[in-house]
Amino acid sequence: MDAHDMRPAGTGPGLPEGKDRDLDRLLSLVARGDEEAFATVYDRLAGPVYGLIRRVLRNPAQSEEVAQEVLLDVWRTASRFDPDRGSAATWVMTIAHRRAVDRVRSATAAAEREQRTAQPYATVDDVAETVEASLEKERVRRCLAGLTELQRESITLAYYGGYSYREVSALLGSTLGTIKTRIRDGLIRMRDCMGVSW
Amino acid sequence: VKLFRDDPHALSGAYAVDAIDDVMERDRFERHLHRCQQCSSEVKGLTETATRLAYNVSRPPPVLMRDRVLVAVSQTRQLPPIVDKRTEDRPKRSRPWWRLWTGAPYVLAMASVVALIVILVGQASTDRQLDQANARIAALNSVLSASDSRAKTTTAADGTRATVVYSLHRHALVFTSHGLRPLPSGKVYQLWLIGKRIRSGGLLKEGPAENSRPVLAEGLLPGDVVGLTVEPAGGTKQPTMNPFIVIKLPA
Repeated sequence: MDAHDMRPAGTGPGLPEGKDRDLDRLLSLVARGDEEAFATVYDRLAGPVYGLIRRVLRNPAQSEEVAQEVLLDVWRTASRFDPDRGSAATWVMTIAHRRAVDRVRSATAAAEREQRTAQPYATVDDVAETVEASLEKERVRRCLAGLTELQRESITLAYYGGYSYREVSALLGSTLGTIKTRIRDGLIRMRDCMGVSW
Repeated sequence: VKLFRDDPHALSGAYAVDAIDDVMERDRFERHLHRCQQCSSEVKGLTETATRLAYNVSRPPPVLMRDRVLVAVSQTRQLPPIVDKRTEDRPKRSRPWWRLWTGAPYVLAMASVVALIVILVGQASTDRQLDQANARIAALNSVLSASDSRAKTTTAADGTRATVVYSLHRHALVFTSHGLRPLPSGKVYQLWLIGKRIRSGGLLKEGPAENSRPVLAEGLLPGDVVGLTVEPAGGTKQPTMNPFIVIKLPA
């Protein structure tokens, strides 16, 4: 096993268990140009990065392109990561989500947007899940189920759908104020349900 | 305290999931974050929560992606850390990490061009091919690394993404694309530099995946428009159709 791979027992493969300080440490090695450390970071984060981007963009080729950009950016900008501002996993996932959303929102992508609902997407690789990941997923599912329908729909459309809260409000036929509030109190409930400690 | 029409705190959730598409509204909220300790710690927690949602849809990436990224990494220079040495002249704090993304599509475009070149080198098998590839890369690099080089990216209606990195000093540009449809035999994609005269910028060759190989076009003039058309094999002296990809460069 890789010398850098010393994640504490009990955390799943790359799961963000609260403060995943191990990943933080790896990123500080990456910032100093350690390619081996980067390979470990890649193995821990490429799945979530690709999965999230794929969920938002749907198109496999585009998703791969954006995921590659994001991961290369993690390498390039590792020195800008500041553990005081949040976990390494969150730093990376924030870049990934924003890049995906950027792609959706760029004015020229209007046509792609029409297309993406029609894109067929393979599900073969959905099968390969580890037990720990399933447990974590189960927890997220359970917490999502604890939200009100409007909270759940608002969060899902905004985060997985890449829609702005204005678009969410149009889609759900609720006022802007309501959607803003539902996204916020829904996320707060999720945070407390999953015991996120920040 | 600046008054908001609505309660600014209510935006923390939307902000954490990138659901604020109005740039001014987002800037205003970010300024608010700087002043409001409670808000920034709430945003932190909600962003961490969003990360769990991301892990929830994790899926194995394409197998080849790992090699591509690792090779690109081995040939990509990293950014230096932000050093706070100018704090005295500039009371403003360095940009927080959550704002870094707003910058530099240029850097990104460069990164994808570099990544593509790296892939091409990886594919050259014999020494001769390698020499040729290296000469090509030296030429491409002279544009990419020119001090005045800039990038422009466009996405065509069919989803094709084209990137131009150009240097007016070097009078040259590098064109790459992703997602171009394969052409029937007898047809070829041709690049054009369109100004007072229309000059050919060269023919595109298919590269790995859906990428075209980077094309180096010389003779660039300020204000040129870069266009792409489909032409008979071997290319033509003048385009026979209107370009379907158009990138206008600054004068």
